[in-house]
Amino acid sequence: MLPRPLQVVSVVLLCAFALAPVAFMLISSVSPDVAVASGDLFPDELAFGNYVELWSTLQLANGLANSLVVSLSAAVLATAFAVGTAYCLVRFTFVGRRSFLRSLLGLQTIPSALLLLPLFVVFFSVDSYLGIQLVGTRTGMVITYLTFALPFATWVMVTYLRTIPLSLEEAGLIDGLTRFGVLWRIVVPLAFPGMVVATIFSFLLGWNDVLFASILSSPQTRTAAMQLSAFAQSQEGGAIPLYGQLMGASVVCAVPVVVLYLVFQRYLVGGLTSGGVKG
Amino acid sequence: MVRRSRLAVRIATAVALATALLATAACGGSSDPGGTTSGAGRTLHVAEVVAGQFPEEQRVWQQRIAEKFKAATGADLVFETMASAADEQTKIQTSVVSSTGPDVFVVGTTLVPVAYSTGAFEVLTDEDWAAVGGRERFFAPQLAMSGPDAQNQIGVPMSMRPFGLVYNTEMFAQAGIAGPPRTWDEFVATARALNRPDQGVYGAALDYSDGFDPWKYIWTFALQSGGRLVSDDLRTSELDSPAVQDAVAQYFGLVTEHGIASPDSISWKAPQALAAFANGQAGMLAMVTPTAVPALKGSAVDGKYAFAPMPTVPFGQTAVPAGGIAAGTIVSGNDMAITQYSDNKHLALRYIELVTGEEEQAHYHEVFGDIPANQAAAATLAKDDPQVQAFIDAEETATPTSFTGAWGDVQIGLTNVVTQSLSGLANRTYDPAAVARLLAEADATVQRSLDRQRPN
Amino acid sequence: MTDVTDVTAAGAHVKAPAGGPPRAPARGGRPGHISGRPLWLMAPGAALLLLVVVVPLALAVWIGLVDLDQFTLRDWLGAPFIGFANYLEALQTGGLLHSIWVSTAFSVLTTVVIAPIGILAALTVHDPFRGRAIVRSVYLIPYVIPSFVTAVVWRLILQPDGALNSMLGVVGVEGGNWLIGPMAFWSLVLVDTWAAWAFVYLMTLAGLQTIPQDVYEAAAVDGTNWWQKLRFVVLPQLRGPLTLALLLSTLHHFNNFTLPFVLFGSPAPTEVNVLPLNIYTTSFQTFRFGLGAAMSILALVVLVIPAILYLRAVRLESGTGEER
Repeated sequence: MLPRPLQVVSVVLLCAFALAPVAFMLISSVSPDVAVASGDLFPDELAFGNYVELWSTLQLANGLANSLVVSLSAAVLATAFAVGTAYCLVRFTFVGRRSFLRSLLGLQTIPSALLLLPLFVVFFSVDSYLGIQLVGTRTGMVITYLTFALPFATWVMVTYLRTIPLSLEEAGLIDGLTRFGVLWRIVVPLAFPGMVVATIFSFLLGWNDVLFASILSSPQTRTAAMQLSAFAQSQEGGAIPLYGQLMGASVVCAVPVVVLYLVFQRYLVGGLTSGGVKG
Repeated sequence: MVRRSRLAVRIATAVALATALLATAACGGSSDPGGTTSGAGRTLHVAEVVAGQFPEEQRVWQQRIAEKFKAATGADLVFETMASAADEQTKIQTSVVSSTGPDVFVVGTTLVPVAYSTGAFEVLTDEDWAAVGGRERFFAPQLAMSGPDAQNQIGVPMSMRPFGLVYNTEMFAQAGIAGPPRTWDEFVATARALNRPDQGVYGAALDYSDGFDPWKYIWTFALQSGGRLVSDDLRTSELDSPAVQDAVAQYFGLVTEHGIASPDSISWKAPQALAAFANGQAGMLAMVTPTAVPALKGSAVDGKYAFAPMPTVPFGQTAVPAGGIAAGTIVSGNDMAITQYSDNKHLALRYIELVTGEEEQAHYHEVFGDIPANQAAAATLAKDDPQVQAFIDAEETATPTSFTGAWGDVQIGLTNVVTQSLSGLANRTYDPAAVARLLAEADATVQRSLDRQRPN
Repeated sequence: MTDVTDVTAAGAHVKAPAGGPPRAPARGGRPGHISGRPLWLMAPGAALLLLVVVVPLALAVWIGLVDLDQFTLRDWLGAPFIGFANYLEALQTGGLLHSIWVSTAFSVLTTVVIAPIGILAALTVHDPFRGRAIVRSVYLIPYVIPSFVTAVVWRLILQPDGALNSMLGVVGVEGGNWLIGPMAFWSLVLVDTWAAWAFVYLMTLAGLQTIPQDVYEAAAVDGTNWWQKLRFVVLPQLRGPLTLALLLSTLHHFNNFTLPFVLFGSPAPTEVNVLPLNIYTTSFQTFRFGLGAAMSILALVVLVIPAILYLRAVRLESGTGEER
């Protein structure tokens, strides 16, 4: 698509831009804290012990497990709901369709801080009125992240479902598939690239959040992001923070997401060209 | 029209649902203020902020206390460790709204006035105080932040974190300086004597970009010279007063006029300033607490530093002037407050009694480095540890910040004045007119906030 | 009521002539598609949105009309109703308008910067080459690093004796104070650009995948050069995903709280006192929930209107932008 020299130069520059701060993070993660605090790029001694200590300092294993469960559930559910919603929005006309699309967008514009306290009140009310505990549970967080990911995921799916020719679906219907069968056997495989984007985004939303987790999580259900942010905030305490461990923990927290992406990457490549019906 | 009516139905449903939720929330607020004597089968919940430097030690400590508590009362003890002070503030807010949550909050002293103004915390009676070992158990200055007056106290001191000065004894000896400065003029003179900018060494380390330290300098300078940030009757903001304007000028003057700190210190936060001191690049560091000790152990200045109280005599004076207060440090540390919705008040008092006892206070110091709020425990420790003694001396100069819910605005306003002046300070200058304007803005904000304060 | 005229556009878009005006309303026009339409598929999402967003939003609107602060928080249902006093206060004090301006400038600027970077990045890895999988993963790394970690890392890099200034020093350039004063704004743009360009990259890459192979082949046969191919064949095909990406990106940057919060703390320098920070400080640090809610809702209005206008302009909802 691009001329070879332009492509090579672009790849090198983009990789350098993307990786330079990461390299700094990696170096810092094995540096003594004082060296990091004073901006020493190449410390005299390396502190690999940071990677050992951080597991006990942060109880990171527990946090990572919480983050994985919460973010994955939210991402998968959000994408599934989004496909259903988007399919209706794209293929059918009904009253309020356009308003619904618009209001989905409007939801993206709401500042999170605005909803923080009211959301707590609502969840708390559900707890005391219906007896379903949401505050402090993973369920509460899954519901929250799932919902906040939904508008975006739906929009992405709307955009991608539109590119799927109606004729394919009509053929499916003629072949005797039910409406749901068409969705499952024809639309979903074709929309896979969009679904991967929606999933990645939704996953990251839960993985990154610290604002809602601060009121919805309990110490047992605290996510890795929460643990890390708390750790990062300890720099205000008047003593030198454990920067080395903080950077090490950051590396540890980034790894699962990168791995997950690598797993899904081939589906991104697949897409329409691999075509057909996939099981 | 079809669409319109459906929309109406939708809105009606949403409103109905919201109303139902509101009604539920309203009913959820009842609580039993009493408490049982035997704790068996009950659980006490205590919220505290994670100890950033010692999370692991904190867990061990919590385990220890929970076991002792169980042995003493038969009740279980569960700690809810908040991720940060901001998180804890949010937790207080959500707990107050829902009338559920932890029984005891461990809060920083500057947050106590705000907690008090919510009216959601138990005002301690004389019997309550007796149950936790009596008021005389604690350092008197700490109690000044427990409530607006002796009859309306909600906080019991847990630990003290008085601010002091740490200085490099080796550099002092080389420069022939006898001891730490007692006045701010001496502070500047000492710093100038230690200044070696060509070697990257400065007399003092400062942290103008920190979120918590700068306003304390301004507070210190203003109070020592007889000014106030908020009038003593807590009705009038005095951020616009000449005393505060002078205090800001003096704080900025440390670097613009006297040049006693690295130009980099304009964008330092407390950790970077501490790192500079730990690397031997600064002779003195003010506004430090006992929490700095672990960072200094094993650093380049290990064994070459000592703590002292902050200077208490303002610029241009040799003694505290009339009307001035020898304010060396704010009353700082942690208090424990019991929520009104708690039905474990009796257990909460037992818990507080346990952790403020002499033995536990000494142990707490061993683990976290904070100075015990328990006078007897502190005195025992001070016998063997000059550092503890130095901070007890610093506590002698402790002065409470104004006990008003508007105090947060004071801090934010002053920090903002410093933040907006940073780019000028980086060039060793600032715009007095801009500072005056910012102070006037902050003054107006604080005044509005003070006007909003209502007696409970 | 405008949607009544446009409501069939999407349903009919496959058959409509390219760029043509929406046809006259013909509700229920296509037999076989109206019967058995599984609208229940929308139910779970709609229910959740109601619970997690709409009801809290309604509550927030109410909070904006009452005097909810630390004194009334405990009995919050009884907070005194003060009408639009919070709105007046928000407009008169607190720097709301300034914050809106800073946030707008920041979000638009960042989006403008990341768009070409993201598109370029997607183009570089569209055609297969050795190591492409690695490059693709590398591109995504900044995006998947949690934002507060990004902020902490960059804070350390940008501090006066940090990595950036030491590297500038090596090539003989005098570094500066990147986190205070006017430079703070550009630092924020830089950091957010680093963290967010992969979003446009992802959207473009997925969009590229959906372009049928024969379109590329047809263009190749025509003998056009790469720029012509990009300009006249590829970019038009990407219009849908890209317009969406740019809009969402702008909105996300506008509401980004974590990055400026960790990067600059609170209160932030005026230059970077973005709206989310201002609202957070007002609500949760000074306990003025009513005022904070009023500020948020004013901001919402400011944000929603251009978003709707933009939507109408690019006709994203009706899908006519991608018709062939």
